[in-house]
Amino acid sequence: MERLLKEKDAQYIKDLFEKKLEGEVTLTLFIETKGPNVTKFNEQYLPYTEEIVKEVAELSPKIKMNIYTDDFEKEKEYNIKTVSALFIEGNKTNKNIVYYGIPSGHEFSSLLEDIVDVSRGKTELPEDIKGKVQKISSSIEILVFVTPTCPYCPRAVRTAHQFALENPNIKGVMVEANEFPEWSEKYNVYAVPKVVINEGKGEFEGALPEDAFLEAIYDAIGIKLV
Amino acid sequence: MDELFSIHEVKEEIPVDLNEIYDTVIIGGGPAGLTAAIYAGRFRLKALLFEKLAIGGQIAVSELIENYPGFPDGISGSELIELFKKQALKFGTKVLLTDVRKIEKIGDIFYVETEYGRVRSWTIIFATGADPAKLPVPEEEKFRGRGISYCATCDAAFFKDKTVAVVGGGDTALHDALTLSKFAEKVIVVHRRKELRATKILQEACFSNAKISFELEYIPIHVLDEKKVEGLEIENVITKEHKVLKVDGVFVAIGEKPNTELVKGLVEMDERGFIKTNEKMETLVSGLYAVGDARSTPLRQVITACGDAAIAASEVDKYIKNLG
Ligand SMILES: Cc1cc2nc3c(=O)[nH]c(=O)nc-3n(C[C@H](O)[C@H](O)[C@H](O)COP(=O)(O)OP(=O)(O)OC[C@H]3O[C@@H](n4cnc5c(N)ncnc54)[C@H](O)[C@@H]3O)c2cc1C
Repeated sequence: MERLLKEKDAQYIKDLFEKKLEGEVTLTLFIETKGPNVTKFNEQYLPYTEEIVKEVAELSPKIKMNIYTDDFEKEKEYNIKTVSALFIEGNKTNKNIVYYGIPSGHEFSSLLEDIVDVSRGKTELPEDIKGKVQKISSSIEILVFVTPTCPYCPRAVRTAHQFALENPNIKGVMVEANEFPEWSEKYNVYAVPKVVINEGKGEFEGALPEDAFLEAIYDAIGIKLV
Repeated sequence: MDELFSIHEVKEEIPVDLNEIYDTVIIGGGPAGLTAAIYAGRFRLKALLFEKLAIGGQIAVSELIENYPGFPDGISGSELIELFKKQALKFGTKVLLTDVRKIEKIGDIFYVETEYGRVRSWTIIFATGADPAKLPVPEEEKFRGRGISYCATCDAAFFKDKTVAVVGGGDTALHDALTLSKFAEKVIVVHRRKELRATKILQEACFSNAKISFELEYIPIHVLDEKKVEGLEIENVITKEHKVLKVDGVFVAIGEKPNTELVKGLVEMDERGFIKTNEKMETLVSGLYAVGDARSTPLRQVITACGDAAIAASEVDKYIKNLG
């Protein structure tokens, strides 16, 4: 396959990583080549997802990569829902920063920013928000449905992933809606970003500021934020 | 495929300095805000830019801009914005992705409230732009994001082989219709007047597109039905006759509503809430400048937004020098 990253973009990212990365980061990607889980959309995008993961991993010695192809044991361990799952892992993660589908277009920046955060084991959320995120003790799954052409989506993806990095009870999951039409249909996704908390206990459309996002999570688990 | 992996935006790590008094705080990261950032950087002003959603503003969702000089073949909104942003960062303006919640002026100093704390500044360049006006039907809230959409670029893909309506008759509406025609089977443009407001060249493109049809002199009354969008009830403005278009989605492009709540009561506004300024972009509050789509202005485009911002930044420079 032709290289996906342009020379000057690759250089930019390399510099960024050199400046900002601290601890090791692992990109763990699950691929299936056959079986009922693979849709025609996955077939179309998976090669690109694999390629971009490889190219990004090459840009810093601190980034490691694991690609599991048709490895159902590992899939169980990671509790993956379907193919094309990418985990950004570091010291402080708990298999809880996830991308389903290709992190392309506007989401490519989310991927880069996630790598930086995970490597440093901390986010730049305001302190009071961090505190409130860390207080959550029940398990939360946040799905953020996106399309690569949506400029407002990275904000929602990043917030979910930042919350996840601050609290291992929270799982932040991006879902590329084009690649998973059935999944999108299940939650009536007709506009992005759409955020679904704990399988529909809470949901909203649009990119909310972090405190409002957090309030939606508290609402979904029935706690009033004071 | 390579455009899928170019860099749009990487959040820079900049703690806000709450002890500093900035020369200017730019509110809004659309074309106006980014231009202000470029100029402020070149004037060596200590500047900070706040953007609440995504760098780029409204133009980020535009697939092709054909009237911005310098790009004879047109350029996509996200590419243009990437260039604007690069230029702004190059000249040193700091960019933060968070919203401004309150502005206050005490003495000569502005206090700008954000989730990072209260930032102090001598001046403000107010570039918050506008949001799409809401579809005036009772079901708007119920169906927003569930079939009613304000961003064709973001959401068109969900309507593959379906029928959709576009409400509006300006450039944005016709752009949306063209974008949607790449996915949907049928696109019906609903507009309240007989004439479209959009540029001729866009009209021609729509008229010659077999998937696009028009319902002119109609206004939307209701979005039907119970659980998901199944139709749009429209009314003829002259005969008052009603009919129902069977559609799966409704895209809305009926103009804009300025994001000016922050300065309500502080500055003078026109009846629609756009901020009034003089030719130097000054508002009634000294040190507070309004630019771009948020301003009361005869034309709302990228180039005019940039022009406003250049003037405002240069006025800020003078203002700062006069402070001594
Ligand atoms: C679909 C579409 C197509 C278009 N096509 C063209 C075209 O081809 N050519 C052309 O010249 N123009 C076009 N326009 C118009 C053009 O996009 C606008 O004129 C231009 O974006 C105005 O720039 P602005 O910076 O003033 O405001 P905006 O672009 O609206 O940017 C304002 C920014 O401020 C942010 N903001 C708002 N409130 C706050 C807050 N409290 N705190 C922090 N940030 C805040 C917003 O999130 C936004 O990013 C198009 C518009 C649309 C919608």
